[in-house]
Amino acid sequence: MIKVVHYINQFYGGIGGEEKADVKPEVREGVVGPGMALKAALGKDAEIVATIICGDSYFNENLEEATAEILQMIKKYEPSLFIAGPAFNAGRYGVACGSICKAVKDSLNIPVISGMYLENPGVDMFKKDLHIVSTANAATGMRQAIPAMSKLGLKLAKGEEIGSPAEEGYIPRGVRKNVFREERGSKRAVNMLVAKLKGEAFSTEYAMPDFDRVAPNKPVLDMKNAKIALVTSGGIVPKHNPDRIESSSASKYGKYDIEGVMDLTEETYETAHGGYDPVYANLDADRVLPVDVLREFEKEGVIGKLHRYFYTTVGNGTSVANAKKFASTFAKELVQDGVQAVILTST
Amino acid sequence: MVKEIERAGIPVVHICTVVPISLTVGANRIVPAIAIPHPLGNPAVSKEDEKELRREIVLKAIKALETEVDGQTVFDK
Amino acid sequence: MDLENQKRVLELSEKFGKENVVVVLGASEAETAGLAAETVAAGDPTYAGPLAGVSLGLAVYHIFELKEEVDADVYDEQCGMMEMVLDVDAIGAEVKTIRDQYSKF
Repeated sequence: MIKVVHYINQFYGGIGGEEKADVKPEVREGVVGPGMALKAALGKDAEIVATIICGDSYFNENLEEATAEILQMIKKYEPSLFIAGPAFNAGRYGVACGSICKAVKDSLNIPVISGMYLENPGVDMFKKDLHIVSTANAATGMRQAIPAMSKLGLKLAKGEEIGSPAEEGYIPRGVRKNVFREERGSKRAVNMLVAKLKGEAFSTEYAMPDFDRVAPNKPVLDMKNAKIALVTSGGIVPKHNPDRIESSSASKYGKYDIEGVMDLTEETYETAHGGYDPVYANLDADRVLPVDVLREFEKEGVIGKLHRYFYTTVGNGTSVANAKKFASTFAKELVQDGVQAVILTST
Repeated sequence: MVKEIERAGIPVVHICTVVPISLTVGANRIVPAIAIPHPLGNPAVSKEDEKELRREIVLKAIKALETEVDGQTVFDK
Repeated sequence: MDLENQKRVLELSEKFGKENVVVVLGASEAETAGLAAETVAAGDPTYAGPLAGVSLGLAVYHIFELKEEVDADVYDEQCGMMEMVLDVDAIGAEVKTIRDQYSKF
């Protein structure tokens, strides 16, 4: 009987939503929430003996302590398999699942598995360290994620041979395996080139990794006279969100004029972001977009000027492609407006 | 978004709470923030203390923008 | 289906008896309607709410399927516009499939 411990966040644990994202880790015997589906999928070979529940914000704001705390909780059960999530596109949840899986693998030396949507930040951070089953971007994909995770999880626990990412449904970890082929490499390369020239289909034997790093720009030399702009992914918008920026999966960004605005107040600004508890930002949006402080710095001569426009969008589940599109568009405006540096805030 | 702004030639500093995400994504100048629902605030302290905290973080960000870096750098001192 | 509504459905089914409750949905898309129907009949498929793992087997319909049961003028006033712009057939088919599979009453 394979003993399994399952990790989920406060939402799937039935504790609450964003307002409870700060709860500390706790253990419950047996299954909770999605664990019920995992239990059914795992069948008679395995038993989920305990479920660990932790608030997404608590975990992400206390990465080391929370990981250590949770590791202790897991150790007690001596499991032979650890399953985290699935987290789908929830960023903090994905980071938590990946962090704990890695810690469990490293210190307890047992197989671990999780499930995330390709764009979850947890994927880029942890795909090399563990098997992450590729899931849909929302919980509507639970029915597909669970069987995939339990199937691969059981294989790992039983020490069976794991096939390629495509076969088993996990996100490529960047592992290269040497194999023998019938035809010589040179022949295969020429065949591939001929197919490409003819416009026929071909598939690469090694996909080029996408590094996409940008070299840092030179620092600002004369800050006292510099024009600084504010940008945020925290979703700060004028009260009532006039342009209806979505609370998640934003399809647009906003550009707002703060000429003459010295301070963001409860009456004039709010947050549109649905991925964090909005209470504090709604009471004082400066807590996410520090206009008040930059105005003080303007007056004190620390900076030359705060640019009259700020750009905002909601980072919650917004696709990488969209975020790129927004920023490359407004970056052109920033350049044209003579902005010399940007402070970008995220939650 | 940070990379696109950098790509356009403007130095940019990322004030964010989950620093590992910023590092993975590729920001070059990073300043850690206070918490997810209030990166530049702290509702548990007085308004004056909160403003002081915010000033400290933004000042760190401004210093980061004035600092030459040759790779990803977290400014947390 | 959101957690609040899942809780209400659960409480109502306990109060009045599962065989005496019919859920009528107004979702505007087949997928959403299907998920809500599945939630009250087979259990929350996302395992996030009070109906996670709870199979009530309730009878569930979409309002589009009940056109004949409603006064024609009232239906026209409340649903006439929506009937023209939404995929009525797809929505009805989705809910019926779930009902045939999971509803016990």
